[in-house]
Parts: sequence; structure tokens; C-alpha cells
Amino acid sequence: MTSEQYLAAHLRRAVAEDPRTAELGVRVTVRGDHVLLSGDVACEQRRAALEEVLGEVAPELHVMNDVRVVPAGEPMGEEELR
Amino acid sequence: MIRIAAVGDVHLGEDARGLLRPALERVGEHADVLLLAGDLTRHGTVEEAHVVADEFADLPVPVVAVLGNHDHHDDRANEVSDVLTDHGLHVLEGTAVRFKINGRSLGVAGVKGFGGGFAGKCGSMFGEREMKSFIGHTVEIAGMLQNALEALDTDVKVALMHYSPVPDTLRGEPPEIYPFLGSYLLGEAVDATGTDLAIHGHAHFGTEHGLTPGGVRVRNVAQPIIRSAYTVYCLEPQVVES
Repeated sequence: MTSEQYLAAHLRRAVAEDPRTAELGVRVTVRGDHVLLSGDVACEQRRAALEEVLGEVAPELHVMNDVRVVPAGEPMGEEELR
Repeated sequence: MIRIAAVGDVHLGEDARGLLRPALERVGEHADVLLLAGDLTRHGTVEEAHVVADEFADLPVPVVAVLGNHDHHDDRANEVSDVLTDHGLHVLEGTAVRFKINGRSLGVAGVKGFGGGFAGKCGSMFGEREMKSFIGHTVEIAGMLQNALEALDTDVKVALMHYSPVPDTLRGEPPEIYPFLGSYLLGEAVDATGTDLAIHGHAHFGTEHGLTPGGVRVRNVAQPIIRSAYTVYCLEPQVVES
């Protein structure tokens, strides 16, 4: 259990500090030989870059990539502040 | 009615060029001004700043921005600011801009902000040099925000920052990292100055709505929270008969 925590911390740092990802808004959860990624990124390439970086840092883990590309459309409505 | 569009944490780079532009072209139909709450780039490079500038230049409404921590990563924040300014954006850091909208005046004061934590669970300017400089940076920025807000005499005052002034809009983030997400000192500056609305980003897993201890509305507009190119808040200035 402890080693999973260290591994998750190591992977989180890699995702934040590797210039190919530079993502602080992606969660990294390790469960056995699986690593779950969750959160939002700006485009599809960055979703793929996460798998690339994790594949190099921890090739033994199976990556489950639940990261979504954040919607960039017009707002559906507005909020009135009174 | 003053309509304020806002978004933060767009994290643009060459790979995301043009993604927001279709929605931005129509921002004038939704709003009178667009506020950008920092983390406009991924690594804070001048090249990425040009992508941001192209994305937000020549819009039908004025664009007001503050920088975020990502925009400082390459240690070229001044150059990033200059690129945005050269393309017509208003970049604030301890400064303010004023607009006349539908006969009413809007003032926006902005800072990047910084961390430190919230009342009762925060750092102090004590001990190691690194700790004093961490909290000292927040103290200095909060002071700049307060001065810029105090100097505004507009019908509506908005505080724009990257880091959060309250813990409310961080719900969803692990409480252990709140000291890296914002500071009560920013909230104190908002509450001391008759401000109507505080806008921030930074907390991708937080929530949109919050309130300062003094009763000022706070909105977290990080793009992963609002899930659109921008969101819109409408404020009706109070009419004061003179």
C-alpha cells in the first residue's frame, strides 16, 4: 500500500514536471498494476501525451485514461447576480 | 445591466490554437467584457503567449487578463504580458481598468494572487527564508489588489485573480493542498473595498460558486469547471440617487 502511494506521487510529479504534459490538473491513482488518470485537458494531443509520459516512467502499469477534453463551446446561459 | 464573460486556465499552446476562437468570435452577443483568470499558457513561453494573443485579439469586447502560475513557469512573465498587451489585451498586476457600459461604469482590478491558505490553516512570515518569501509574496500581492480596488470609484467593482480568495470554490480539491490554491489575504482585500464580485481560476477540481466572509460573491471560472469557452455573469449596478 505504501509503495503504491510513493509510486502515485512519483507519477503525479512526472505529469506535472515533464514539459510534454505540464498538467497539474490531472489526478493519478494507482491500484495494483493499474493507473487511473482523471481530469480535463485542452485537446486530444495532451490526452495522448499523458499516456506517453506514464508509459516511459512506469511501463509495467496498465493506464486507464479517463481524462476528458474540456468543452470549448459557447455558454448555454448566463447567471444573473442581484 | 453589465454582462461579464470570464474564463481561466485555458492553457493554450500551439496544439490548442484556434479551439476557443469560434465561441470567442460571438462573445459580443453574450457579454460586454471578457475576463481571463490566468494560466493562459502551458509553460509561460513567449511562443505560447503569441498563441494566446492570436486567440483573444480583435474581439468585439475588451479583454482583461491576469497571469497564472503556468504563465510564470518559463520565468518570462513580463515578456508574456508584453505580447498580450501588444495585441490589445489589458494585462493587470496590481493595476485596474475602467469601462463605460450602458451608461454605467465597470472597474476591474487584477493580480495573479498566490497561496498561503485560509484563516486558521495558513502559513506565516516566519522561519526559513523560503517560508518568509512564500507568504511575503502573497502579502505583497494582496496589498496591491487592495490598493487597486480601493482606487476604483466605479458603479461596479470586480476583482480578477488566478488564485482563490476563499476556500468555498475549492470544494472538490483535497483540503491538504488548499494552501497552494489560494489565500484568505486576497479575500480580505476584496472585503475591505466594496467589491461586487471576485473571479478566479486555478482550482480545476473545485466548484464555481463561493462567498467571501464579508458576503461578496466569488466565482471559479477555471475552464474544467465552467465547461465552455467562457461563462457569463450579469450584474445590475445599484442606482444611487445623488
